[in-house]
Amino acid sequence: MKRTIFSNQLLPWLLLAPQLAITFIFFLWPAAQAIRQSFLREDAFGINTSFVGLANFEALWNSSQYLNSLKVTAIFAVSVTVLSMGAALLLAIAVDRMMKSTRPYTTLLVWPYAVAPAVAGILWWFIFNPTIGVLPYVMDRFGYDWNHVSNPGQAMTLVVIASAWKQISYNFLFFVAGLQAIPASMREAAAIDGAGPVRRFFDITLPLLSPTTFFLLVVNIVYSMFETFAVIDATTEGGPAQATNIMVYKVYFDGFVGQNIGSSAAQSVVLMLIVIALTVIQFRYVEKRVEY
Amino acid sequence: MASITLDNVGKVYPGGTRAIGDVSLDIADGEFIVLVGPSGCGKSTLLRMVAGLESITEGEVRIGDRVVNEIEPADRDIAMVFQNYALYPHMSVRQNLEYGLKNRRTPKAEINRRVEEAAGILQLAPYLDRKPRALSGGQRQRVAMGRAIVREPAAFLFDEPLSNLDAKLRVAMRLEIKELQRRLSTTSLYVTHDQLEAMTLADRLVVLNMGKVEQIGTPLDVYRKPASAFVAGFIGSPAMNLVPARAVPRLPGSAHAGLLGFRPEDLVIEPDGPIAMKITAVEELGAQRLVHGEVGGEPMTVTMSPQAELSDMVHMSLPAQALHRFDEKSGRRLD
Repeated sequence: MKRTIFSNQLLPWLLLAPQLAITFIFFLWPAAQAIRQSFLREDAFGINTSFVGLANFEALWNSSQYLNSLKVTAIFAVSVTVLSMGAALLLAIAVDRMMKSTRPYTTLLVWPYAVAPAVAGILWWFIFNPTIGVLPYVMDRFGYDWNHVSNPGQAMTLVVIASAWKQISYNFLFFVAGLQAIPASMREAAAIDGAGPVRRFFDITLPLLSPTTFFLLVVNIVYSMFETFAVIDATTEGGPAQATNIMVYKVYFDGFVGQNIGSSAAQSVVLMLIVIALTVIQFRYVEKRVEY
Repeated sequence: MASITLDNVGKVYPGGTRAIGDVSLDIADGEFIVLVGPSGCGKSTLLRMVAGLESITEGEVRIGDRVVNEIEPADRDIAMVFQNYALYPHMSVRQNLEYGLKNRRTPKAEINRRVEEAAGILQLAPYLDRKPRALSGGQRQRVAMGRAIVREPAAFLFDEPLSNLDAKLRVAMRLEIKELQRRLSTTSLYVTHDQLEAMTLADRLVVLNMGKVEQIGTPLDVYRKPASAFVAGFIGSPAMNLVPARAVPRLPGSAHAGLLGFRPEDLVIEPDGPIAMKITAVEELGAQRLVHGEVGGEPMTVTMSPQAELSDMVHMSLPAQALHRFDEKSGRRLD
């Protein structure tokens, strides 16, 4: 690689400036604001602001609604991750086994990733709409009553499907690449060693895929916890009865709708800590733990 | 232990491309057979057909007295050593060796006995708890062999097992494989593109070209009496000279209109010999010297001692018994 030496001290800073500015204005400054506000309390009219220390965090800890939101987020994140990775792995295995026309399938399967989360949410909202949706109509024929507006379990199912659907494409791409990186001779050797297709998958393919799997695990958890805001907003808006009110949606709802800035800021600080923890785990362990 | 029989075996891919045509071969119990040929000649495909990794579209393969055409690789009682070794990277050496036995529900004590034995034979005992990536190329090669040995199969199949090793290690491993096979006397089918490897390892050679058998015979038979011009040019290093008879009109066999073949080491330097070669290039190999040139517009090579004086021209003669004659069209040997 060629190394360029700048004689001018200013030029490198100028070249970096746009990216640094974006990072500062859209990431560092709001983050700092959130941290500052999480220690403050505003009165109902926004006239007086006072420093309250960790009171906002304490209030969260004692709020049954917030603890419920933690639980809902955990269920939601695990479900989305398992569903999207499981479905993606099945599709990837199917494509990996194909001899011909792998490419068109791969291309078609990648399309949903281009759909914006809000659009994906609306799409599934239509499909599952209790009044005009296709699936509730079909399910009604089989005697199943679908109404996610009043049924918390069904509401969760809807947001999980809508969120996972989009992510399947992304996971699929990585799984296909991971599978194709496993030498065919490895599976052939296992076949000669007397392992049937199922054994081969669990003994050879899955362990060799583990770096991909672990990477996707972290990416999908982060996705389901933070990027699914639009899906929730377009479908259930956290309802019914807090059943789909995941943490990131609650930050928005308490802050912008409920105007409880201090609590909302405290919640986003908690979220920030979770992201940092996940990132650390990924960087520390993705290279070290999951190797063979 | 078992014999392997190939009966008019052929392979045609769904698109209609023919990879293997009409191969018949009887491998005796304990015999070491080497399939040799240039890349793309179908030797690996043939091996994989015996292993069960490729379907057999024509003919019959028998291991022992069992037709195995429709039998899964796992149930053919064979073990295979792959070119890239195909060791399971997430398993220790011990686990690699055990895997095939565990899948077959071999009793634990028996597994341990066989693993210890194989590790002893292959000097792998100190490395049993290492992962393959912590081993050198030669050690990985040994693990791959060990995985085959512990199975105690009816036959070993080797798919260019030495081609990923450096030249020195390759020679050492070649000897080890030969010795091991003698000791275990397990029927072996070995694929290589390296004619030297083929000559040194084989009880019998099978020379393949474009999916067809050119010749089957002991290494010395094949070397001394190549059945076709292709075999003549492929087996032996430096390669045999193959020239049209008209290019060397003063040679005894030049009366017929075919191809004449003679090995570079069989030419005798003689000041008034019938072959006059114009020298174009010289390769010094230390113990000998390869002299390339042309005779009547045809390229020719001769080995000379490194002490010999060189000028622009060299005159040579050829003993009559060193001359091979081949049909110009079919390339078959004429006797």
